[in-house]
Amino acid sequence: MRPPPPNALVNKIVALTLCLLVFSGTLGLGAVWVRQEIFSTANRVRIAQARIADVERQLDEVTAGVATALSPETLLRRNEMLRLGLGAPREVQVVRVDESPELRLVAKHNREVFTLANASFSGAAPITFRLASASP
Amino acid sequence: MSKGFASNLRMTLLAAGVLACFLCVGARLVYLHVIDRDELLKYVDRARRQIVVEHARRGAILDAKGNLLATSRSYVTLGADPELLRPEDEAAWPQLAALLNLPAADLAGTLHRGMAAGKAAAAAPVAPDAAHEKRVRWLKLADEVDETVFDRITKLNIRGIYGSRGYKRVYPAGELAAHVLGYVNRDGTPVAGAEKHLDLYLKGEDGWIESEKDGARHELAQFRSRDVPARDGDDVVLTIDAVIQHMIEDELRSIAAKFDPHFASIIVSDPQTGRILGMANYPTFNLNEFSKAPLDAQRNHAVADIIEPGSVFKIVAAGAALDQDLVTPATTFDCGETTILYKGRQLKLPKEDEPFGELTVADIVAHSSNRGAAQLAMLMGEDKFYEYARRYGFGQLTQFQLGGERTGMLESPKNWDGLTITRMPMGHAVAATPLQIHMAMSAVANGGALLRPQIIREIRDKSGEVVRDFPPEKREQVLRPGTAALLAQLLTRVLTEGTAKGSDIPGFELAGKTGTTQKIIDGKYVNNRHVASFVGFFPASRPQIVLSVIVDDAKVPGGIAYGRAVSAPSFKHLAEQLIEYLDIKPAMVPAQGLLALTGGVR
Repeated sequence: MRPPPPNALVNKIVALTLCLLVFSGTLGLGAVWVRQEIFSTANRVRIAQARIADVERQLDEVTAGVATALSPETLLRRNEMLRLGLGAPREVQVVRVDESPELRLVAKHNREVFTLANASFSGAAPITFRLASASP
Repeated sequence: MSKGFASNLRMTLLAAGVLACFLCVGARLVYLHVIDRDELLKYVDRARRQIVVEHARRGAILDAKGNLLATSRSYVTLGADPELLRPEDEAAWPQLAALLNLPAADLAGTLHRGMAAGKAAAAAPVAPDAAHEKRVRWLKLADEVDETVFDRITKLNIRGIYGSRGYKRVYPAGELAAHVLGYVNRDGTPVAGAEKHLDLYLKGEDGWIESEKDGARHELAQFRSRDVPARDGDDVVLTIDAVIQHMIEDELRSIAAKFDPHFASIIVSDPQTGRILGMANYPTFNLNEFSKAPLDAQRNHAVADIIEPGSVFKIVAAGAALDQDLVTPATTFDCGETTILYKGRQLKLPKEDEPFGELTVADIVAHSSNRGAAQLAMLMGEDKFYEYARRYGFGQLTQFQLGGERTGMLESPKNWDGLTITRMPMGHAVAATPLQIHMAMSAVANGGALLRPQIIREIRDKSGEVVRDFPPEKREQVLRPGTAALLAQLLTRVLTEGTAKGSDIPGFELAGKTGTTQKIIDGKYVNNRHVASFVGFFPASRPQIVLSVIVDDAKVPGGIAYGRAVSAPSFKHLAEQLIEYLDIKPAMVPAQGLLALTGGVR
């Protein structure tokens, strides 16, 4: 058996080198792609963080604005400006109710309905209402 | 078998060439990475590396109902990079000037000068380092630009106009609770009040990002080597109720308009917990314009000033004598005598505002008899009286959580002169802060237990979780609960038939004590300047509110600034508002209420 010609070994080395180059090139391109992905992801994260910070800032702005608008001084000024005449009730205006407020409100409502019915249907047959209590 | 396509010589030459190239590249790399390393690193660091500090957002201060009292708002400091300004953007400069409220010509002049300086620096034949130092890359145009204005500026799309963001402290309610909140100055240093004393919770911790930037100064986020997030400050919830605070500040404005006092303080608290619902002083100031406020207006007189408590101090003598069972409300004393024999010495008793004869202990309290109070104190002796005064909290710090308070003055009996036992029971020869006086009365309203005044309700983190709360803290049991209840009932008579007659609100059992004390000017009591006070609580049988109105040096035309004339009306007015706001139920149904219930005419 004859030994292989010396050039064949060189050819193999060249082929191997080419393979290595292709492989390392692929690795390099892969690395570049990964880096690009890292870059774009990091950038997206940064933009998202900036957006969140922006929204939080706007939220704070709105909260501070609302707080200013709700401060007693501002409300009183608006009350005066809009001539709403709103004010805290005085003790003399307060009626303290010891009985059940529901029954009291129902009775008050019925009284109003009776008054209305009397005014609208004077002379007509009287309307009767029955009060249903929910208590057991 | 193939012979191959290259000869040995060619292959050797090619290999040698490739090797030479590699050697060159290697040599260059060695030069750059080893020999020239430091110089290049310095350049790269300067050009690309950046550390961005992320400022922590300062926590908010809220009232007990969650209303915002102090918060941080972002603002933008606007500037230009003259080297990046483009002539084609000049058309938008007038709009920029209008948004910044600057004259268009001034702004254009500034930017033109900046551009010229930038060009000159870039063209200057100097070493690169020196040129870098001289280049102007930031020309400040405006401070504290609002975010909304900045958004509109950004939309103008002028290249080279930048904003640097910062936070400033704002107080949405202006002067509301100014002395309690304190403020943060322009340098970001908390100066007074809750801002200063709770800074540890409020300030948070700054974070930072270590990364690189590109040529356009944009961060290269993929090269972040360290990212320490900022920890925002915690929110502080105060015990103050903004509505009650507004009520008392409104009342102070009315007192100021009517009496032009040197100062006035009003304190409202819950006797069961020691929580302060409102604390206000006149004069006051707008927290958003603190730099314009005189120092005196920034002073929290309620804790930082001491006054003689006057007749309000009579609760010490009366309470102590009742507590030791030395007297009953029906025990009588001769309050018409001008002198009294005490420990073998004839002592002169203090003057009365009106002549009295025999008075019961109940009458002494109701009519505020100076001689009666002196005799009550003499009954127990100096040491016991002093002990009770200490128990009430006089001469000691109240441990107010925002600091700045004074101890007051209460000398021990060994330093008293012969007359002190007759003068101290009426509130002379003793000095206290309005808060000390308020807390002493609060002890009577709270079954004899002296509590620490609470102004902080809780600390919350960013997510709203409570990280610390502040439960009531008992300092001392001043009186037995029975004695406190008895004294409370005696104090109701002050408003129904005593020194503050007419200040009562039927059905709500208002209890309190008037105080009028002469001021000491140049070491002497003067007749025409007084401290008027009214300190009380309601309803007496189940106290829900303690309220103090203290007015220093009120100007009453042609008269003395008595507590009953100056402070008691304000006490009543505030009590009416507080009853409505807090929905305090009457302790007993008043006659007027019965009329209302039956639909009677009011």
